[in-house]
Amino acid sequence: MIDFLQGKWLKHPLHPALVHIPTALWPMAWIFDLFSQFRADNVFVQLAFYAGSLGLIAALFAIPTGFADWTDIRREKPAWKLGLYHMGLNVVVSILWTINLWLRIGSFQTDTSVPPGLFWLSTTATALLLLSGYLGGRMIYAHGISVARLSKTKWRKIAEEGGAAVPPEHGE
Amino acid sequence: MFKAFLQGKPFGHPLHPALVHFPIGLFLLSLVLDIASYLEVTSNVLFRASLYAMGFGLGMGILAALTGLVDRSDIRLDHPARKTSTIHMALNLTALGLFGINFFLRLEQENLAGLPLPYLLLSLIGVGIFLVSGYLGGKMVYDSGIGVGRHRRYTRTPRETIDVSFLVRHDGWAPVCDEAELRDGETLRVACDGNIMTIARQGGEVYAFQEFCTHRYGPLSEGKLQDHRVVCPWHRSCFDIRTGKVVEGPAKVDLKTYSAAIRSGKIFIK
Repeated sequence: MIDFLQGKWLKHPLHPALVHIPTALWPMAWIFDLFSQFRADNVFVQLAFYAGSLGLIAALFAIPTGFADWTDIRREKPAWKLGLYHMGLNVVVSILWTINLWLRIGSFQTDTSVPPGLFWLSTTATALLLLSGYLGGRMIYAHGISVARLSKTKWRKIAEEGGAAVPPEHGE
Repeated sequence: MFKAFLQGKPFGHPLHPALVHFPIGLFLLSLVLDIASYLEVTSNVLFRASLYAMGFGLGMGILAALTGLVDRSDIRLDHPARKTSTIHMALNLTALGLFGINFFLRLEQENLAGLPLPYLLLSLIGVGIFLVSGYLGGKMVYDSGIGVGRHRRYTRTPRETIDVSFLVRHDGWAPVCDEAELRDGETLRVACDGNIMTIARQGGEVYAFQEFCTHRYGPLSEGKLQDHRVVCPWHRSCFDIRTGKVVEGPAKVDLKTYSAAIRSGKIFIK
């Protein structure tokens, strides 16, 4: 199960692929909310609702895959803590969007602008998400989480062929 | 400096993989809305919603393309991921072009209810291409480590691997290049009889050690050099470049080192 969630069958980690959807669509939902404040048009309210909903559906899949990736990081590594903050923020953001969308269900088909309260809810969630996404990116690009995890054998072979020093097999 | 900005170095996070969330998410949203508007024949609101999502996707896609192009320019010419990056780019430009056509064709009929099938198919093909291309982009990061840890290094990285196998002289030394071609803080990637090594220059001296990190085989020729140490771009293993000894993990095994010297204006290795 953990292997499935980590994307071993796809030879590509699942979590960073799935997160494209909420990471793009939740901030976009906020942008559409913003548009609706300046130009009253039901299309923006509807767009924000659909963007938020599609983001939420994908987030429900992204959360377990992210958790599975996180369990492979050793506790003493700095990335473990980054992962913890990243996860905490994402759970908060997902809850905020669940509430946000729930409150819109009755009105999004007719409203021509998003009510200020909901707009501020989106603003908060977007700020938290951008921070969280940055932390997630740092885990990959600064700490190398998930990097060469599935391609280790391939690189080992290339290094070994040239007579380079390599660690004992199965050693971390 | 502008290039370093487009590569996200000041932020410690490459810009391209951050920006690509947007075209991928938005084009997917526009496809979902297209399916809904294909089935919905009474109102044009879904059609317009999809059009806007597509428009934003195009805008963000162009930004992502620019940053991607810059990131690609730093991939070594003989790196296997170089080819992947070419395919990734070609697919993305094709899909972006298709969505561009899709978008401008729709602009002419803004009040459509019940989306005609050809438009839906065009979106479907575009998203399909992006999925394949996104998978390749992910493979570049997670298999080949492209873009990982590159923000720590500001000096140029090797353009290609220099093979000196046929230049080895009787005494075992092989000339690599003119001394002037390797400035302080820079590296070369050299192949000699199957050994792949990094040649690094620090404090006027040159040092040669195995290219592959002993943790997960990250490319040390793209690591950051400082105080006679090299930091692997992938997982920050740190080695003394004079002795090859591990200074900091995760790596536990020392690097193999080779002899390197500067003689009469040329760099030699043994």
